[in-house]
Amino acid sequence: MGFHIVKRDICPLWKRCCFYLAAIVAALFIGALVLLAIGVDPLEYYYQMFTMGMVGNRIAYKTVMNYLRDFVPLALTSVALSLAFKMRFWNIGGEGQFIIGSITASAVAFLLGPSLPMWLTVILMCIFAMLAAGLYGLIAGFLKIRFGTNETLMTLMLNYVALYILYFIGETKESWNFFLQEGSLRPVFESFASLGSFPSIPIGDKFQLNICVILTLLIGVGIYVYLKYSKQGYEISVVGDSMGTAHYAGMKVKRIILRTVFLSAALIGLAAAFKVGTVGVLSTSITNDVGWTGIIVAWLAQLSTPMIFVVAALICVLQTGSITAAATFSKVDSSFANMLQGAILFLILAAEFLVRFKIVRVKKGEKTNE
Amino acid sequence: MKKIIALVVAVLTIMTFVGCTTPTENPSKDASDLKVGAIYINSKNDTAGYTFAHHNGIVTAMKALNLNVDTQLFIVDEVPEDKAQVLAAVDTLVGKGVDIIFGISFGYIDAMEEASKTYPEVIFSHGTGYKSNETNFNNYFGRAYQARYLAGIAAGLKSLETGNNNIGYVAAYGTEYAETASGINGFALGVQAVNPNAKLHVKKLGAWADEVNESAFAKELINSFGCGVITQHCDSAQPQIAAQNANVFGCGYNSDMTADAPEAHLTAAIWNWNVYYQTAMEAAIACGTADKFVETMGSSAYYGGLKEGFVDVSPLSKNCAKGTESAISQVKNIIVNGEWDVFSGEKLTITVGEDGTATITKNAADLKDNAGNVIVAAGGASVADGVITGTMNYYVAGVEEV
Repeated sequence: MGFHIVKRDICPLWKRCCFYLAAIVAALFIGALVLLAIGVDPLEYYYQMFTMGMVGNRIAYKTVMNYLRDFVPLALTSVALSLAFKMRFWNIGGEGQFIIGSITASAVAFLLGPSLPMWLTVILMCIFAMLAAGLYGLIAGFLKIRFGTNETLMTLMLNYVALYILYFIGETKESWNFFLQEGSLRPVFESFASLGSFPSIPIGDKFQLNICVILTLLIGVGIYVYLKYSKQGYEISVVGDSMGTAHYAGMKVKRIILRTVFLSAALIGLAAAFKVGTVGVLSTSITNDVGWTGIIVAWLAQLSTPMIFVVAALICVLQTGSITAAATFSKVDSSFANMLQGAILFLILAAEFLVRFKIVRVKKGEKTNE
Repeated sequence: MKKIIALVVAVLTIMTFVGCTTPTENPSKDASDLKVGAIYINSKNDTAGYTFAHHNGIVTAMKALNLNVDTQLFIVDEVPEDKAQVLAAVDTLVGKGVDIIFGISFGYIDAMEEASKTYPEVIFSHGTGYKSNETNFNNYFGRAYQARYLAGIAAGLKSLETGNNNIGYVAAYGTEYAETASGINGFALGVQAVNPNAKLHVKKLGAWADEVNESAFAKELINSFGCGVITQHCDSAQPQIAAQNANVFGCGYNSDMTADAPEAHLTAAIWNWNVYYQTAMEAAIACGTADKFVETMGSSAYYGGLKEGFVDVSPLSKNCAKGTESAISQVKNIIVNGEWDVFSGEKLTITVGEDGTATITKNAADLKDNAGNVIVAAGGASVADGVITGTMNYYVAGVEEV
């Protein structure tokens, strides 16, 4: 008697869904044990978490608006990262590209906002944020194709360069620094909501649907089509599969890499412009960690664009819901959400193993023919 | 006579008007109905540091008022100084139905102001800030400089005893912030009241918390500047531990640090946040509706000191020099009864007799900054609170940044 690990040829969709569902349930079960251990009713906690505290909440519409404001940058950043990942370019510089994008978009709002109509300011914020973030991403791309540097390390380190630029801007009270409030005793970021904010569509008498939500969904469809049906999308997957093949097929590999890296980073810049154009003020934690969470989302969705939207939506429920649930239970702090997120991620990866392989029992002398 | 009649008519009109608009309203709400919300910069499960001090204060205040922490307290923690995230935290708390929201970090200032307009039915109370309105939004902070002055007396007496006039100060920031500058100046004046020859050496961290440098800077003050007493304006007890390791003495901050450095620590300038939180919660219960909160509090800025017990010095340790107890309690007395305050045109001179009793004399003297400019002329009144919280961007004479 023994066990063998055998590769599956195909795994039907229903079976895959079952595995993933089981993984999530198992993670929630682990979380429930922790909650029980600290004396919190897990059912009540999860109820609060999955409903994001909206039941019986007189300002539930605010919860939805806050939820969408977190969802937009995360979904768009994840889609952008998946572009690079498909090509096996490990862009883990989402944080840095997001920061550069948000600084640029804010700068455009401050400098051009006063003299231009709002709609033009907003468009320019998007364009400049995309250019700046795209070029920032290109640094790692260029160094890779020119000198063969490791893009993982380069993009990682560039995250910190961008972060410290943001800290510098946020802490330096000088006459040139138009990002900060003039009258404040301590350095505080100035709001530019009146200069460059994305419009919202009112639905009902209170809810406001920010136009960025619609734009993000449209961009998602666009990227899906681009990857699936365009020549460039095909090139990305060939380069991802084998650079040699791409080369022999006559593809200009270096150009494809640069183009895709730029597009990936530029979309992250756009996500940043959406974020600052919605909240109307910069902050040193403007990214809300989307550059990191986006990597998890992209991989959990296995780089499939529609799945990215689903996973991003679920992760946002988890994050928003955890804050609400933690507010109710004084013993649970917001780190519980991180633990639960980690448990889900690990168990999904374990489920991934079961999707690809199966474990069969073999008796001695018997051969596995599967 | 006409005027009096007009006045009576006016008063009656107002009374009927008020009576008409709020015929059934209960002026104060039941304490068991009060829901308290709080937004923290770090985790509510912290066991030391800034967030811990506030959480501890809120919980202590709630217990004193017989409020149930499990059902009446709602917290969103680990909220960075990001306007959108603070506003989202406010939405979460308002969704839970809280009556009052405490925001403890300075950078929440704009979000708190905006939220107070969005939700006029909720009270917003912002720690360390300076914005407010006349109805439902106030700010709170304390006269830490008074407690610093008392700790300075302990340090000064120790310097007399050891014969070492160099005193070191590890500060988060210096003259950039009135909060740090007023603390440094208060401490320096306390030292000088007992030891006019003492010199205060200030070393800046450039950060509110930086454990590595907090220790390193204390060592440098001891080794390079010969400091015999080390005090601090930073988060951890590292400077006190460094003082103990170098066999010198120290005064802590924020909480009693005697346990961290039992052989070095004299006394610490401390905050009793529960004093404010209890006052605010009582006002929130008494005011009935949120728009009456500031009126009930009496002011839109709460600035409590030794008198309210909001700031104090921790119990004096065995390391304190003879007479410290007597000197501190007498000075505390004249501050509490409003007879004297730290930044005024009157200087205290404290001497300790053979029997350990301190004698305090008040003399008119110019309060000068360390460039020689007169801040308060001899005999003048204390500087305005706005200066202490906002524009005190200088050091008093005898302080040197190194």
